[in-house]
Amino acid sequence: MQYCNHCKVYIRENKQKCTLCDNLLPNYDKVHIDNEYFPNIRPFYKKHLAIRIMLFISIVAVVISFAINMIFPSEINWPVLFLFGIISAWLGLIFIVQKRYHIPKKIIWQVLIISGLSIFWDWKTGWRGWSLDYIIPISCIAAMIIMYVTARIMKLSISNYITYTLIDGLFGIIPILFILFDWVKVKYPSIISVSLSIISLSAIFIFHGENIKKEINKRMHI
Amino acid sequence: MNEVNKKGWTRLDNASKIFPSTSDHRDTKVFRISCELYEDVDPIILQQALDLSIESFPFYRSILRKGVFWYYFESSDILPKVELESQPICAPIYIKDRRNLLFRVVYYKKRINVETFHALCDGAGAIWFMETLIHHYISIKHRDDLGDNIPDLKYKASISEKMDDSFGRNYNKKQAKKIKSKEKRPSKSYQIRGTKNDEYKTKVVEASMSTNDLLNLAHEYDTTLTVFLASLLIYSIHKERPARMKNKPITLAVPINLRPFFNSTTARNFFSAMSITYDFKNNTPELENIIQSINKDFKDNLNEKELYSHLNKFMLWEQNPFTRIIPLPIKDFFIRVADKLNDIKTTSSISNVGKFNIPKEFKKYIRQFSICVSARRPLITLCSYEDRLVISFSSPFRETDIQRSFFQFLSHRGIEMEILSNL
Repeated sequence: MQYCNHCKVYIRENKQKCTLCDNLLPNYDKVHIDNEYFPNIRPFYKKHLAIRIMLFISIVAVVISFAINMIFPSEINWPVLFLFGIISAWLGLIFIVQKRYHIPKKIIWQVLIISGLSIFWDWKTGWRGWSLDYIIPISCIAAMIIMYVTARIMKLSISNYITYTLIDGLFGIIPILFILFDWVKVKYPSIISVSLSIISLSAIFIFHGENIKKEINKRMHI
Repeated sequence: MNEVNKKGWTRLDNASKIFPSTSDHRDTKVFRISCELYEDVDPIILQQALDLSIESFPFYRSILRKGVFWYYFESSDILPKVELESQPICAPIYIKDRRNLLFRVVYYKKRINVETFHALCDGAGAIWFMETLIHHYISIKHRDDLGDNIPDLKYKASISEKMDDSFGRNYNKKQAKKIKSKEKRPSKSYQIRGTKNDEYKTKVVEASMSTNDLLNLAHEYDTTLTVFLASLLIYSIHKERPARMKNKPITLAVPINLRPFFNSTTARNFFSAMSITYDFKNNTPELENIIQSINKDFKDNLNEKELYSHLNKFMLWEQNPFTRIIPLPIKDFFIRVADKLNDIKTTSSISNVGKFNIPKEFKKYIRQFSICVSARRPLITLCSYEDRLVISFSSPFRETDIQRSFFQFLSHRGIEMEILSNL
């Protein structure tokens, strides 16, 4: 153990300078630095370098596309579409990363994001109705199937996914409005989504009614 | 049967409610209790000891989840695993949506560290858990050596007593409404500034010394150990701050263990915090005067009536129908704002978590215990074991002026100290 004459304290670890006053310790040239009490911990920032590079590339690409469009004007405002494309990709990515610890929640968020974005894109590109025709019902169906499969594979306990299955089931019924108000040209994805939702909801209430009640009590307690 | 096992979930107690909302990667609200042995830790035996200890603390297998109005603890079947230390001190434990236990047990060479998210329990609860863990560890590790001399583990309380929400049990609505709250703190106290450590790591400087030496020094000033150290902290902060700030009051937050006052043996949170202020504008900056003033503050605050009104005040807030029906994200926001406003009133804090009780037979295997916390500002935590007292300075800043001033004062008064730091 070394001794700092200035602070009048012993320094437990092997180091060259005093922790308190930062002066060189008497035997500074002979110490062999070992991590006797605390491990040497790798810096954290390197792990995030990939995200930073991606962010940088996105910004560069958007700036260049606007610049090119200003120098060589074209009839369609393609840089704006490009910008929205990149924003859409980032939105998806952010939610995947943020909710990565909770897969059922992540699936629900993806359904909401995909539905929202598809309506937005459909509307911006001259409303041909493909978002309501295909994207929304199909993403609801896909979510239900993915949720069930992941729950089985990852052996999630009922309480982990039942609420999200319920939300997805309720969301999947919405396409019934598309059919009733005649908003869709192609009907079969909506019909499948609605029927699957009704089946899955009835299964939840019949077989897991108690669990649903318990979950709601837990989550809604005031 | 206890509450968690029956329903599968339980509410957060009053003190816990603030931690999930206010924890972030800068201030993780995690604290670490370390036990340093004389020999390297055996991870396999540590795991066995942990498996045994968790049986006595089933509540520690809870995970924290978000409801619509409040957070709640959900019982889980996750078993804690010991790990080789690989993260910075007090790294985040509670991460939104991640289903993990709210404590971790890590080891490195001679040290066993238990890190806990503060919503799960306070220092006294974690000390108790640590005592149990070390008891099992040494009993297994040195079974042959100890022979028939292995002392029994004292359980101290039943499982349900350990899970008690002592805030809820001691709350009295009628009395709470009578309290006229009087804010004694100045609206703004001196704030310590500094250069942040890389990646918001916490710098911990721990000094290990003889409990008796320090007690004798405190007695020379005719006061108790905690009052003496609190005063010395104020004195050191004042000494190191820039001259243009010298008039600002310095306020310390001092957590108080409520268990002895309310006869509780819970292993969850049961503490309150008092504020002690020294006004430098109207008083001299001599240590003797600071001690005198702090002594009085301690006497005024540390009585049953004062603590009871404090407890009721916070419970009244929690029980208010309006606060209860506000959705959680909005609650989170308001709690964070209130916490920031509260920060401005506080300069630092000192927390004496008390003594470790380990059977005499085990003394020869244990060098010392220490406790440190994640910190938003430089602050002190201390604990003692036999004649070894460890004072830890946790700080988000690189500067060590206050630490130096504080420890030099002690060393120049003849206290022999060993200093250890992580960064």
